[in-house]
Amino acid sequence: MTYAIADEPIETSRRHLVVNPSAPLLAEMLCGTWLSLPWFAWNAIAMGSPTRRKEIALCALSLVVTAVLAAAVLALREGGVIESRTMLRCALLGIITWKLAMAQAIYTLQSRTFHVYEYYGGPVRPASYVLSTGWLLRDVVIGLSDDPLWGIIVSGVSGLLGGGA
Amino acid sequence: MEDRQVEVLLEQADVQMRLAQWRSAIDLLRRALAIDPDHARAHAQLALALLGAKRLAGAEIEARLALALESGSSLAHYAAAAVLRAQRRLDEAWEHCEIALTADSADADVYVLGAGIRDLRGEVSEARALLVRALELEPAHAGALTRFARLELDAHRPEEAARYAEEALRARPDDLDAHVVAGLVDLVRGDVAGAEGHARFALTQDATDHDALGLWASIKARRSWTLGLWWRLNAWVSLRSEGGQVALLIGSFVVVQIAIILATAADLPLLEQVLSWAWLGLCAYTWVAPELWKRMLQRDLGTVVLDPDF
Repeated sequence: MTYAIADEPIETSRRHLVVNPSAPLLAEMLCGTWLSLPWFAWNAIAMGSPTRRKEIALCALSLVVTAVLAAAVLALREGGVIESRTMLRCALLGIITWKLAMAQAIYTLQSRTFHVYEYYGGPVRPASYVLSTGWLLRDVVIGLSDDPLWGIIVSGVSGLLGGGA
Repeated sequence: MEDRQVEVLLEQADVQMRLAQWRSAIDLLRRALAIDPDHARAHAQLALALLGAKRLAGAEIEARLALALESGSSLAHYAAAAVLRAQRRLDEAWEHCEIALTADSADADVYVLGAGIRDLRGEVSEARALLVRALELEPAHAGALTRFARLELDAHRPEEAARYAEEALRARPDDLDAHVVAGLVDLVRGDVAGAEGHARFALTQDATDHDALGLWASIKARRSWTLGLWWRLNAWVSLRSEGGQVALLIGSFVVVQIAIILATAADLPLLEQVLSWAWLGLCAYTWVAPELWKRMLQRDLGTVVLDPDF
């Protein structure tokens, strides 16, 4: 019989797939939300994070609110409220800020468990291959649909800043 | 029989905690709690051990469990105050510290913790008063003397700080915190070699100690301008709570991006370019600098010979 401390990850069979949470955070910036949010969620499950439900809920919240904000921006653009390019860029900056804040919040939460996981010698996989593949695939994923709503939702920080949507 | 077993485990854990052996202490306390999951003191001690291991989330839960099991326990309030102070939740920390002081007014450690909280709240004279009381109770309390040295350093009185640091080292020659503060005093007085000696000694006691590593890093920052800049930036950002740090970073990002958008709208392409490149440069620098820093520290720490007790 043992006593389980609340911040400790549970044992899972997918520990060999765990990456440092800074990898999905970097994916949000370089590759896109299409990669970072599923990666954060997967990492929480693979690590056996005690806060995995909260982390997955934050991923879902991030996605839903991004979709709502993107739809609102596009509707305002259609309705002629957002007329200039400057206004559109400011509106997109609002969405980027939301995405960044959420990615950072999930990263902070997941990092707490990750430190304990590492502390007890949990294996950590290098993430550079996934990141570089994601970076190469980002235009393909964003180009899967012509709908600007799709572009805004799946793009990352660099994509939206560069006018990828 | 089980009660005796738990007491023995708690005593062993206490010894490990005094040696800053957090992992062993946590394992011993885990065993104690497996025998008696409702042992308030074990939960409070576990909170302090987890705090030592920088596991703040777990430490907070354990402190709350200790308080729920024994709301009048001085140790539980002390643990809660220590955890909340580490989280920079200073008002709540002080509330618990006050209760701990009321419950056990003869424990110098509680006064020292209280002084640390008041100091962080900017209430320096109150912090001093608490330290004076701690030293009345225990004149050679290394923790109180060390804290006094820090207060004097903050007040730009390095000579006074040096006096307290020396007294702390006389009281406990192998005290890690006393060596760290003595190193900081040396650094302020420009004696980098002296500071390095103290840092090296502190790291032989505990190569993972945050303050000892901080001192080591400060010494290195003196010798490398580019990495020193990052270290100072990092130290300035880390003064804030976790939420405050994120807000600061995202706020800076938004401000720079708005400036870029406005520069474009005002048809100032040069300003737009400068801002974009400056931001990119800052991102690259803050990405690369910690890695270089980590490697430099790892290389340096490879030369540190650990104390056999570590």
